[in-house]
Amino acid sequence: MNFYRSVWTVWLRHYSVFRKNIVYGMVTTFVEPILYLGSFGFGLGAVIGNIEAGGEQVSYRAFVLAGLIGQTLLFTSFFDGAYGGFIRMYYQKIFQAISVTPVTLSEVLWGELLWCSSRGLLSASAILLIGGVLGDFSWWGCLVALPVIFLASVLFAAVGMLVAAGSRTIESISYPQYLAIFPMFLFCGVYFPLSQLPEWGQHLATVLPLTALLSVVRTLLLGFRHEWWALPLLLAWTIPFIPWARNAMRRRVVA
Amino acid sequence: MASSLSVHDLRKVYRSKRHEPLVAVDGVSFEVGPGECFGLLGPNGAGKSTTMKCVTGFFEPTEGRVEIEGIDVLREPKRARQCLGVCSQDDSLDTDFTVFDQMVQFASFFGIGRREAEARSRELLERFHLSDKSGELVEALSGGMRRRLQVARALVNRPRVLVLDEPTTGLDPEARRTLWDILAEQRRSGLAILLSTHYMEEAERLCDRVAIIHRGKIIDCDTPEKLIAREIGRGPVEEEIRPGVKIQRPPNLEDVYLKLTGARLDAGPVDEGTDRK
Repeated sequence: MNFYRSVWTVWLRHYSVFRKNIVYGMVTTFVEPILYLGSFGFGLGAVIGNIEAGGEQVSYRAFVLAGLIGQTLLFTSFFDGAYGGFIRMYYQKIFQAISVTPVTLSEVLWGELLWCSSRGLLSASAILLIGGVLGDFSWWGCLVALPVIFLASVLFAAVGMLVAAGSRTIESISYPQYLAIFPMFLFCGVYFPLSQLPEWGQHLATVLPLTALLSVVRTLLLGFRHEWWALPLLLAWTIPFIPWARNAMRRRVVA
Repeated sequence: MASSLSVHDLRKVYRSKRHEPLVAVDGVSFEVGPGECFGLLGPNGAGKSTTMKCVTGFFEPTEGRVEIEGIDVLREPKRARQCLGVCSQDDSLDTDFTVFDQMVQFASFFGIGRREAEARSRELLERFHLSDKSGELVEALSGGMRRRLQVARALVNRPRVLVLDEPTTGLDPEARRTLWDILAEQRRSGLAILLSTHYMEEAERLCDRVAIIHRGKIIDCDTPEKLIAREIGRGPVEEEIRPGVKIQRPPNLEDVYLKLTGARLDAGPVDEGTDRK
C-alpha cells in the first residue's frame, strides 16, 4: 500500500457511497444548475438582456451561468468538506478506523480532500456542459477551465475541512457558513459584476478567492478581459489552506 | 520464542498551552507472545487507552518503542499494521455500508483484492454468526452484533496481533460469551491479543497474564492466579454483599485490582514501576 494507492483507496470508499445513490447524485448535480438557469438565466436574463462586463457585451444568461460555477463549487466542495467531513470524523469515526490500517491518517485526509474536490469538479462540469450546449461558453475555454476549477475545488474543500476540524458541534458549522461562505457567494460576482459594488466593497471582494476564480473562468468561457492577478491570487489562497486544514484535522482526530 | 508485540518503556505526555503537561503513560513495558492474551486493567484515566493507541501507532509516543512482529510501529506504520487488527472502544463501523460490503471495504485498506476480500468476509461472518445479516445496514444490528462485527472486521487482514479496547462493554452476558468463545478459537491459531477491560471476571477468564496499570505505570503484572495468591492469599474472602448478608467466597482478581489501585490511590503517587515478568 504505497501513498498513491492508499489515497486512491480512501477516495474509492467515498465514491462507493456516492455510487450507491448515483441517480440521486446525478439528478441533483444537474437539476440545481438547470433550475438556477431557468430562473436567473432565462427569467431574469430576459428582463436584463445584455450587460457590459469585463470589457465585453454579454447576455446576462451567459454571465450568470458562468457565475454559477463558483456557487456550485462552494456549495458542493465546502459543504461536503465541512458537513460531510464532520460526520465522517465525529459521528462515523471513519478517519479513526482507517488510520490504524496500513493507510495512514495523512493519506486518509488527502483522500478526503480529493474526494470533496472531485464532487465540486463534477458539479461544475455539469454547468460547463449546459453552457457549452447552449452555445454560451466556448468549448476550448471549458477544457482549459477544468484545472482552474479543480484548484478552486481543492481550496473550498480545504476550507470545509478546516471548519469541520474547528467545530465543536455540527450546528456551529453555521457560523462560518453564514459569516464567510454566504457573503462570498453573494458579493463576489456570481450574480452581478463587481462594478456595481461601492469602491470599498470592490476592493474587499477582489481579494477573495471566489472573485479570482470567476475572473479566470469568465475570461476563458466568455472572453472577458484577462486579469493577470486572478490565477496567482487563487493559488495564493489554495497553497496555505491545504496544510492548514490538514494539520487542524489531524490535531482534532488525534486527541 | 519471539514476541508478537513488544512495548518498551512507553511514555506519553500530553502537552497543552492551558494546562500542566499530563503524563498519561509513564514507562510501560510488556511483551505478548503468539497465542497469548494479555490484559491491561486499571481505573479510568490510568493510561490503558493511551497505551493501546500508542500500540496501534495512532498516537505518537513521547518516548519508547512499540514493535509488532518485530516491526517498529512508529517508523514503519504501514508494514507493522499489515499484521495488526484493532477493535477500538468507540463503535467505528462504517454506517454507509452493509455488513458484508463493510468487511470487503475494510479489506481494501490492507491492499487485499476484491475476490480474496469477499471470500474472507464470507468466512468470518459465518464464524461470527453474522451471515444472515450480510445484506443489512449496520443500524439494523443489535449492540452485541455490532461488537462482533467490529471484531470480525478487525480480523479481515488475518492479523498476528489483535488490540481489543474494552470489547464487551455494554454487552449482555450471552453476547459476551459468544465473543469470548470466538477469541479463544482465534488464539489457537497463534493470534496474540492485547485486551483492556473493566470486567475482572472477563480478565480472569481470558487473560494468560494481566498488568494492573495505575497512574500511567504498571504496578503489578502476572498470571491472574499468581496475582490473587500473592496479593490476597488462597483462603476464602468474607464479604458483606448486601446489608446483613455475609458470604464466604474464593478470592478473585477484583480483590487484587481494588487492593492495588484503591490502596495506592490513598497512598499517593507510586515511584517504582514494578514490571515483573
